[in-house]
Amino acid sequence: MSHEFDAEAYAKTAAAAVGLPLDPRHLPGIAFNLKLAARMAAMVEGMPITPADEAAPVFVAGREPPR
Amino acid sequence: MIGAAATAAAIRAGTRTAASVTEQALADIAAHDGDFNAFTEVSAARARAEAAAVDAAIAAGRDPGPLAGVPYAVKNLFDLQGLATLAGSKIERDAPPAARDAFLVRRLHSAGAVCLGALNMDEYAYGFTTENSHYGPAHNPHDLSRMAGGSSGGSAAAVAGGLVPLSLGSDTNGSIRVPSSLCGIFGLKPTYGRLSRSGSYLFAASFDHLGPFARDVADLALAYDALQGADAEDPAQQWRAFEPVQAALGAGVAGLRIAVAGGHFARNGHAEAFAAVEVTARALAVTRHVEIPEAARGRAAAFLITMAEGGNLHMPDLRKRPDDFDIATRDRFLAGALLPAHWLQQAQRVRAAYRAAVLRLFDDVDVIITPATPYVAPPIGQDMIEVDGERIPVRPNLGVYTQPISCIGLPVIAAPIADPAAIGTPGGLPIGVQLIAAPWREQTLFRVAAALERAGIVASPKPARR
Repeated sequence: MSHEFDAEAYAKTAAAAVGLPLDPRHLPGIAFNLKLAARMAAMVEGMPITPADEAAPVFVAGREPPR
Repeated sequence: MIGAAATAAAIRAGTRTAASVTEQALADIAAHDGDFNAFTEVSAARARAEAAAVDAAIAAGRDPGPLAGVPYAVKNLFDLQGLATLAGSKIERDAPPAARDAFLVRRLHSAGAVCLGALNMDEYAYGFTTENSHYGPAHNPHDLSRMAGGSSGGSAAAVAGGLVPLSLGSDTNGSIRVPSSLCGIFGLKPTYGRLSRSGSYLFAASFDHLGPFARDVADLALAYDALQGADAEDPAQQWRAFEPVQAALGAGVAGLRIAVAGGHFARNGHAEAFAAVEVTARALAVTRHVEIPEAARGRAAAFLITMAEGGNLHMPDLRKRPDDFDIATRDRFLAGALLPAHWLQQAQRVRAAYRAAVLRLFDDVDVIITPATPYVAPPIGQDMIEVDGERIPVRPNLGVYTQPISCIGLPVIAAPIADPAAIGTPGGLPIGVQLIAAPWREQTLFRVAAALERAGIVASPKPARR
């Protein structure tokens, strides 16, 4: 995944979408970290999971208060 | 370097006063913290007032609490009433002072402990080294030119350097266990959801744990028992009955099924990390090996979720004042704020599947031993290190063994090898192991750690300078 990933271009587009101004001086560091994240994402993509595998966080509607 | 239990016993027996212990601790900090840079704030007035209250309680015949007069300090992401909670940042200097203490600080206060101040850390807990550009690096008491570890580096340096017998830290991906190992002290990362985090500055909430540091197992147990308590203000806390561990310290390891982790935990480090595991396993007559399945993917999931949760948390400041972040965290937070939702959701599903696979291991095993860090404390400022024939960044790799475990919230005691020189660590520098159990089995971990301590295998090595 990471070899196809133009991290600087992605950062500029995604930052615009979420209203995050990016200083051009920060772009190389952001791109470096996005590429690292892409390698991690490739690892989790490789995990054999099924549609039945739910995400870890589970919403809880309410808790009984501690006694 | 008197421990917490001995200090409390002397004060309760009337052979010391809390005031005299506090003055000694303040003098020690004044004399030695220039070397360690562990403290970012010394709360002398508060400490003297708390000590006076303990002495007054004893004079009036009231129970001063199990931690009567015991000095401690907290990572500066814990709220201390009247102080801005810095979380290692410059940005939070502008925050209003905390209106009240964090829940765990209130617990220690009710147990009679005396708070000496706030401790150095990586900015917003995003790091394993405490090389903080705003407040300077924390220095390892065993070699001042080396890292104390992080992100709770001040918490570990203060305890290892003998400034306080107890401290509190936080652990999102290894931030209690890494500095424990590098500074040669004990650290407890309890089960996720065990101890309340309310009144602490979060980092990546779905991984954030709080816990204590100490120089021996009895002190760690004393602190942990005092810290337990239900708190409706922490949405992640599981409200369980009080499960004390102190009474179990002498129970031994008979009947416990203990194994050494292979695979990921038998790679990615230097010889001393594996020697630490070997000497620990030998002392427990452990021959069994288990594979923690998908540990590397678990670590990858933790990496992504941490980035995204951290980036989201700090988005308002990333938008307004990115240059006020520590250069060591800024670009990671900025990148984390931009991660695609798909990567995050996939990571969260992998996290759950990985948890299910690991929990199955505990059908047959009670405790798993792994290295705590891949090497001893690197020199401050070192960027790269050779591992398994490859040059890799030294800092993120410090969490290679801790991150897959906190990803799924398992309880861990990081225990230091008593005689690191005997197992061949470079320069005799400290290193520790992780003792890992199933969720809510802290008591089992304390049994094993106490047995290893009695056998002389784990203990906090004393720094040459103190």
